[in-house]
Amino acid sequence: MTKEENQELIPSLVVVKLFASCREIVGKDKITLKSTDKMITARDLRRMISELFPSLPTRIQFVIAVNHKIANDSTTISQVDEVAILPPVSGG
Amino acid sequence: MISISSEPIDICKILVDTMDSSAGGIALFVGSVRDHNKDHVVSEIYYEAYKEMAEENLAEIENGARKTWKIKKFLAVHRTGNLKVGDVSVAVAVSAEHRKEAFEACKYAIDEIKVRVPIWKKEVSESGVYWSEGFSLQKSD
Repeated sequence: MTKEENQELIPSLVVVKLFASCREIVGKDKITLKSTDKMITARDLRRMISELFPSLPTRIQFVIAVNHKIANDSTTISQVDEVAILPPVSGG
Repeated sequence: MISISSEPIDICKILVDTMDSSAGGIALFVGSVRDHNKDHVVSEIYYEAYKEMAEENLAEIENGARKTWKIKKFLAVHRTGNLKVGDVSVAVAVSAEHRKEAFEACKYAIDEIKVRVPIWKKEVSESGVYWSEGFSLQKSD
């Protein structure tokens, strides 16, 4: 097995930062999600978070940020990306 | 100059730093902690930010203002941490040749800060502690 093939079998770990009400509901400021795919989409990530923390999407209308930009459903995410889930903002 | 800071905001310094010999006016907006919200008394507000993304978004807002108006200097600072009633939470200052540009750019910036920058506030009031309702961030290209 080549090194490349071997790497494809290693599940990727996506670290997700949590802020404000999202952090309080989950009880952590970051979580690590494991995927067997090297690349997932923001839609996949939302589904994984909803399965792990079912109360989160019912209580908070959060968005996903990837590398400090708001993602849409098809935005791809790999383990080198900086990912965060953000509740509605209220600065000022 | 833009920043997210846990240190108190010195609005006099911001005003002086925005002065420019080629500017004929400065518009300064200062946001502070109000002692009430709707019908309940507020004693303090905790502000939290996603600092790295917030500072990038503030820089984008400055760029947006500079593309639309001929401005000289632009400063925007937002506080984080626990703030008491009367403490300054945000300041935006813009200098321009004429007041119209300064006022419009300053209003644009504070309006954008409220809907585009990942900052959250949690109010401490007599009826409890809760996160303020806010604006869902939108994808911008």
